Amino acid sequence: MFGYVRPQKSELLVREYEQYKGIYCTLCRQLGTSYGIASRLTLSYDCTFYAMLLFSLNPQCPGFQSGRCVVNPFKKCTYCNAGEKELIAAAALSVMMTYQKIRDDIDDSHFLGKLRGYVLLPLAAHARKKAARDFPQMDRAVSALMIQQRKAEQSENPGIDLCAEPTAKMLEQVFAMAVGVQPDEESANARVLRQIGYYLGRWVYLMDAADDMEKDIKTKSFNPFVIQYHLTAVSTQEELGNARERANQVLNLTLSQLTAAFNILDFQHFSPILENVIHKGLPEMQKEILFKKEKTNVRSL
Amino acid sequence: MSDPYKILGVSPSATDEELKTAYRELAKKYHPDNYSGSPIADLAGEKMKEINEAYDAVVADRKRQKSQGGATYTGSTSDSGYGTGYAGYGYGSTNSSFSDVRNLIMTGRIADAEQILNGVPVDGRNAEWYFLKGTVLYKRGWLEEAYNSFSRACQMDPGNAEYRAAMNQVTNQRNGAYGGYNPNIPRTNGCSSCDVCSSLLCADCCCECMGGDLIPCC
Repeated sequence: MFGYVRPQKSELLVREYEQYKGIYCTLCRQLGTSYGIASRLTLSYDCTFYAMLLFSLNPQCPGFQSGRCVVNPFKKCTYCNAGEKELIAAAALSVMMTYQKIRDDIDDSHFLGKLRGYVLLPLAAHARKKAARDFPQMDRAVSALMIQQRKAEQSENPGIDLCAEPTAKMLEQVFAMAVGVQPDEESANARVLRQIGYYLGRWVYLMDAADDMEKDIKTKSFNPFVIQYHLTAVSTQEELGNARERANQVLNLTLSQLTAAFNILDFQHFSPILENVIHKGLPEMQKEILFKKEKTNVRSL
Repeated sequence: MSDPYKILGVSPSATDEELKTAYRELAKKYHPDNYSGSPIADLAGEKMKEINEAYDAVVADRKRQKSQGGATYTGSTSDSGYGTGYAGYGYGSTNSSFSDVRNLIMTGRIADAEQILNGVPVDGRNAEWYFLKGTVLYKRGWLEEAYNSFSRACQMDPGNAEYRAAMNQVTNQRNGAYGGYNPNIPRTNGCSSCDVCSSLLCADCCCECMGGDLIPCC
């Protein structure tokens, strides 16, 4: 994933922000202990959200204690003192997705990008191998994503829905694993989680595609919006603006389904933070990325 | 039945007004409109039923408490504002040429419904075909193609209320009425024309207090 799934900080209580940071830092630490120092670099807001969702479904409430940040010894961090299971699952997801992303970069980019990919790949491959041993089912889902994605992009008529399907399906399966169910189980929670995963994956994929529209026009890379809205290097600013507005509508429609599914789920804890992410963080991200006048990098939390 | 106060998310000491607000919030959240055409509509319906029952129980209990001073959760009569029996857009309309497909959709057999629809030759695809195809795509999460199918159905048969309702819902969702972001609606509270008038009136009152006058006619 790409760091799009995060809360809107200004709407969090200080206490909630601390809890969020706590999970973030603990996930970082877990990455280090489970899959090696280098895998800490794969830490993302998206996987923090996944960890938090896993925590929220577990009746047992994690406690927090303070400790030192490994990366910056002068900084104090809060760490969770329970819930190893959830953290390892999120760490594994993080490692697996980074591995697939590096492989994808090697296939897609030119000389320098390839070189960077080949340097990073052995590190990621080692961590991913370990993660795959712990979560074989998850690894199958993530690996299938890339193959399906390629197939979708090379198909005759790559529509928006078709291109978003692989990422959506991948997260659908990963989220269904959250309650420890088989992918085809029909319990109420499993059904809702599958819906959440599907539409979150769809949203993330489309958000990324919308974000990359201009860059992909320049580099002539694949982008479903560019194809669908017939954008070319000679498109005017107005045409680009229209395309952005239409992409925003596609994202809104996806988010309406995600919100509906999310509202049904019962959370044991962290529900204000998770609600913040879905109800405020994601719309805020659409606004930041599609409608900010001067494009700056979105600041870290 | 579990604690109705917990279901409604209020403390037992909440006032009637707070209770009503909490109930309305929840009822809005699980309103069938938010779930029409969604494969998890039945789960939302269950939630709605749970909330209605909890609210009825609490209201009945409070009524009894006021007259007698006892507190138990029993018996409930439904007088809440929102119904629960909702099955998406009105399926099963008369003289449908695709009643078998409609039945399949209603029973949740989406893949079978789609297979039959795909088997229809291109020249047999009428407005209803596009509407049903849209419904199937919507349930599968292919929202863009569903939107295109609904708009095609509306173009072919502009007078049909069923197709129009589906189209309107998707259009509203695209515009961010059900979550998301709309660049054309400012999120912060702006200054409406009403605010301007009342501010002017206030300023006038203040001026008059001090012996001056801002708006001579009032």
